[in-house]
Parts: sequence; C-alpha cells; structure tokens
Amino acid sequence: MTADTAMTVITNAPRRDVRNGARRDPVVSQGLALLAGISAGPGLAAHRGRLGPAPAPRVDELVQLARDVDLRGRGGAGFPAAIKLASAARRKAVVVVNASEGEPASRKDAALMLLAPHVVLDGAAAVAHALDTREVHVVVPSELPSIRVGIEKALRDRVGSGERIRWKLHDAAPRFVAGQAQAVLQLLAGKKNLPVTAWQPEAVSGHKGRPTLLSNAETFAHLGHLARVGADGYAAFGTPGEPGTTLVTLRGDGSDPEVREVAFGTPLTDVLTQAEMARPLLLGGYHGTWLKPAQLQGLGVSRRDIAAAGATLGAGVLLPLDEGGCPLVRTEALVDYLAGQSARRCGPCMNGLPAMAEAVRDLVHRAGPVARVEELCGLVVRRGACAHPDGTARLVTSMLRRFPEEVDAHALGDCSAGRSEVFA
Amino acid sequence: MNDQILRVDWPVCTAHGLCAEMLPEVVSLDEWGYPIVHGPVKREDLEMARATVKACPTLALRLLKPPARP
Repeated sequence: MTADTAMTVITNAPRRDVRNGARRDPVVSQGLALLAGISAGPGLAAHRGRLGPAPAPRVDELVQLARDVDLRGRGGAGFPAAIKLASAARRKAVVVVNASEGEPASRKDAALMLLAPHVVLDGAAAVAHALDTREVHVVVPSELPSIRVGIEKALRDRVGSGERIRWKLHDAAPRFVAGQAQAVLQLLAGKKNLPVTAWQPEAVSGHKGRPTLLSNAETFAHLGHLARVGADGYAAFGTPGEPGTTLVTLRGDGSDPEVREVAFGTPLTDVLTQAEMARPLLLGGYHGTWLKPAQLQGLGVSRRDIAAAGATLGAGVLLPLDEGGCPLVRTEALVDYLAGQSARRCGPCMNGLPAMAEAVRDLVHRAGPVARVEELCGLVVRRGACAHPDGTARLVTSMLRRFPEEVDAHALGDCSAGRSEVFA
Repeated sequence: MNDQILRVDWPVCTAHGLCAEMLPEVVSLDEWGYPIVHGPVKREDLEMARATVKACPTLALRLLKPPARP
C-alpha cells in the first residue's frame, strides 16, 4: 500500500497494546456458588471442611441433573453438558479438564484454578466416577506458572488424602488456539499443541481413540456443584428458564480486570458501570460480537436474551470500549492480534487473516473498501481445522453491522472517537 | 439423498490445486490456491470425486456421508 494515495485518518482513540505486556491479576469477588468459599483459601482441608467429600454420582444421575438445569459448556460454544456426558459414557473413557484459557480477555478459569481449585477438581472427580474411569488430565496455561504450582499442590493433597485418581498435568502453549479441543488432544498425545481436523467429536473418539470428556474448567466446577446440591439447590440462583450462575470476566485485557460469578438473569446494569453501559460492548471476547449501547438496555446475563440480541455470551467475556475509544480502531487492533495468532497450518486462515487485518486497517485509516473486508470474511469461514478464522470473521462482521455510520465516517477521513454518544 | 460431501483436511492441504482441475463441478480455488467446495457431490460426479480423493498429492480430501439430520 503506497502512502501517496492513502487518506490517513487521524484518530485520538487510545491505541493500546491488545494484550498488555504485564497482565494484571483480576480482582475476584466472593461468589454465589462456585466462588462462595474463596475467603477460606484454596486448601483442601478448608474445602473438605466446608463441603465434604467429592460427589460420586452415577452417570445416569449426572446426565439427568445436567439435563434438568440445561447445563451448558463454559468454554464458549455452549454445548449441552448432558449430551457430551452421555456420548462419552462408554468403556475406557478419559476425562480432560481444559483450563488453558487461550482467550486473552478471559480470566475466569485462572481465577477458579487459583482460588477454588478443588471446586474444579471435585467436579472432575465426580465426572470420572460417573464415567467409571480413573484417568483425568488437567491442562493449565504455561504462561501463568502460578496456576501450575497451585494445581500441583492441590493434586498432591488429593492423592495424599487417598483419592484414587491418576491425575496428569499438561502445559498448554501460550497461544490463542492452543485451548481448542483438538489442539488439547494433540498436546495429550505428545504432539504440537495445535488444532488438527476433527473427523469425529472427541466424546466419540478422542485421546488415543477413547471416548473423551473434554470440557472447560468452569464446566467441571458446575458439574461438581450440581452433583453436590442437586437440581433444586443449583436453581437457588438464576431464573426458572436458566438456573444457576456463570463466571464473567470484565475488562479482561485492560488495566482493571475483574472476575465475578453472577446468577443468570442478572441485569447488565449490575455488572457494568453506568459509563460502560453508554459505550459499545464487545461481548464474548476477541471472537465475540459488538453490541451498541441501545442494545444493552434491558439486557441481562442470559444466553437467551443475548442470543436474541444477535450475540453470544461465549466464555463470559465482557469488554466495554475504552472511554473515548473508537470501535473500529479497537477492532483493527484485535484483528491484527488474531491474525498473528493463526497457527499457520490451514491455508485460508494463514493467508486470509493477515489479508483481513490489512483490509480492516485500510478501511479504518485509508477509506479502503468494505466489500474487500466482507469478501475475506466469507473466504475464511468454515475453512479451517478450528474456529479461529470463523471467530475472527464474526468479530469483523459485527463491527461492519453495528457501526455502519462510523464506517462511513472513516471513509470520509473522520473518526468519532471521544464522542461516544454517536455510537448509541 | 445419497449425495456425499467432500471435506478438506485443512492443515494437510498445501494448495496443489489438482482437485479443482479434476472436479471443477464441485471445487474451485480461492485467491491463494486453496479449494472452495461448492455443495455436495452429485451422484454423477461421485466416481470422479473418488478418483480426486485418491489423486490429491497430500491426501487432504475425504468423501463423507452428510451428517444425519435429527
């Protein structure tokens, strides 16, 4: 791209690093169910004193409970836990707890693993009992060594207390796609921690071809809690249609990240500040969807309400736009980061995401064509081993859809950063 | 009803482009030379599709039965 023909938009939007060099530890508030005991510390004795032994449900009981409360996976896709459990309930099953949390703006699994490790591990033990297996793998992020240290101690304490589970710990590579299910299975097999094509769901044929229940760490915490308190106890929080709680990460890549456990149905006004409610919100993380302030009014932390608004809760990541920010400039930085996170294995992702980053950069700063951005989004979707290109296209598509006036403004060399009312 | 689906093993595909030459009814190439699969393989193209799967230099293609609809 030559500079002489380019029209450069001068923006006053803050251009911070997408992923802060020094990640700040999130502030974690005492929670309703999963995070109810964090003030007593992460130790096993305090945990057992408060909640007793790990639950030991039969598989049909656990499947029924998960069905009763419509428990969904908390890794982002929201797949029904009951279906996954029932599919994996065959001979020689393996359990995999995925705490790798590759999404840079999500900190909730880190919070769980650091502050309530036995809530997660009890869930994994309950699932292992239900599936009649003793093999449980735990995948932790290698860029946060404190989690590994904490989990090593937690597992030593459990084995020391007589628990007959063969726990195996694995370190996930520090990249966005390392936590994807097939990439985790590669890691367990001693191969590169990168996605490969899945010809069958891992619950059918996963680790070493065995039925594999691979879920996000928070999902195990919910399964353990559910097995302990039953469907009625679980429904003490939430709404009749969506019982229970969920973990959310607020401003996860910013300077004041926060993790909270909220009941389903909690109004967004209870989660975001008044100022944040008046700004665009990126919901669901870097693979998520933009919502305009007008769409936030009356919205709650509810999978259904959020789906009706054309977004998904994903792994519970809420990223309000910075004060004085421009959603286009923010998206441009995110796409640039996501393009760099491609594993560079699948052609459409390896070529398409850098091209998309360039097309978005042109759109934002040089009045580049919207059509080229749309074309590239279409070219990468469903053309890879994992959902990284699809998620990136989702982010970009939502930017085009929610902020057409701002796209027009940039085409004229303008930028509305600092005038947040125009994004309403 | 018996239409099968041509699926690409994306990490294995290295854009030789043979599939688009052998099976232009189903496959075209994107701007980087990677296959774009247009819909299911019709019955009359099935034999050629099988040959294409076998001919792929990196064995990156598979013919699959469409997923059962609930």
